Amino acid sequence: MFWRKQKAAIAGFHPLHQALIFERGFAATHPAAEWSALAASLHRHAGLIRRSKWALPHRAIDVFLPLLAAVCEDLGPKGVLAVTADLRGIHVPAKSHPARDIPVRPPARSATETWSIDPWLRLHAGLRDGSGLDILVVDRQRLRRVTKRGSSGKTKIKRKTQLTQLIRVRRRLPRGVAGARPQVPPPAWIGVTLRDGERRSVLAAAKLPRLPQSADEQVDRILTVATETFRWTR
Amino acid sequence: MTPCAVTTGFFTLGKCGQMAVAGCPACGRAVCADHLADGGMCPECAAARRQFGHPAAAAAARRRAYRHRQAQYYGDAGYYSGFDDYDRAAFEPGAAAHQDYLDDGDDALVDS
Repeated sequence: MFWRKQKAAIAGFHPLHQALIFERGFAATHPAAEWSALAASLHRHAGLIRRSKWALPHRAIDVFLPLLAAVCEDLGPKGVLAVTADLRGIHVPAKSHPARDIPVRPPARSATETWSIDPWLRLHAGLRDGSGLDILVVDRQRLRRVTKRGSSGKTKIKRKTQLTQLIRVRRRLPRGVAGARPQVPPPAWIGVTLRDGERRSVLAAAKLPRLPQSADEQVDRILTVATETFRWTR
Repeated sequence: MTPCAVTTGFFTLGKCGQMAVAGCPACGRAVCADHLADGGMCPECAAARRQFGHPAAAAAARRRAYRHRQAQYYGDAGYYSGFDDYDRAAFEPGAAAHQDYLDDGDDALVDS
């Protein structure tokens, strides 16, 4: 039997770790202790698994784990964190809308546009201060495919992609907490909205015109948007 | 009972508050059994000495580095380094967190 030792190692991993290996994602709700067990399991992966087919998605270790550690620190003893992670990537067919024709002018003969939406991470946490925190990260790709014919009759097909990322965070304040506008305004790339209701919500949203170039930058961007909602309860 | 004076949390800072079992030999603050890091130090002192064997020391280093970076980015040195009254109040005795996790409401970020 091939890969016997690595199969045995995978069998000993946390169930959500196994889901990340085989399905590239999971949806689960657990208290902080269970997420710590998952983190410990993920840290063992690199030392035990070498087969590339069973490698973890790159965002699992570099992005998901630091976020998990940060959010879990604020979970109370009864607090739970719900995670929906889909790390299959944006090129999965199910994440693409049907292509649609867009108007063209000569020398272009036809053009199609395809949108792909990849909500790869959703977090919902009940924090120990009584507030609820939602984090949503979505990659969005526009693919344009243009067919051109030159004066010599040669046909060329050109493709152009535009990849953006949306980060949206909502913090529902505890009951009776009104919040206050911070003295220092948020940076221009973060938009903040207050929504009144039974419990006030602070929504922070950012649209990044390009994907972060490193995992550290990705984590930093998400945490910066998330932290913005906590500046409104000074 | 002497409560543990170790700072916990990432977004909302607070004190641990469990029963302390020792004092940090470096800074003298009371530390509970869960937060005793390498050398019997508190997590902050262990992190300052780059001893990250205890998870709380790694968390303290992460929190400190992030807040320092954010304070520079926002140009607001006091905000991210200090505790606020609201965060402190959440850890007062009797002010237990109210977890209404399932109550999404109309303004939910994601349809469920």
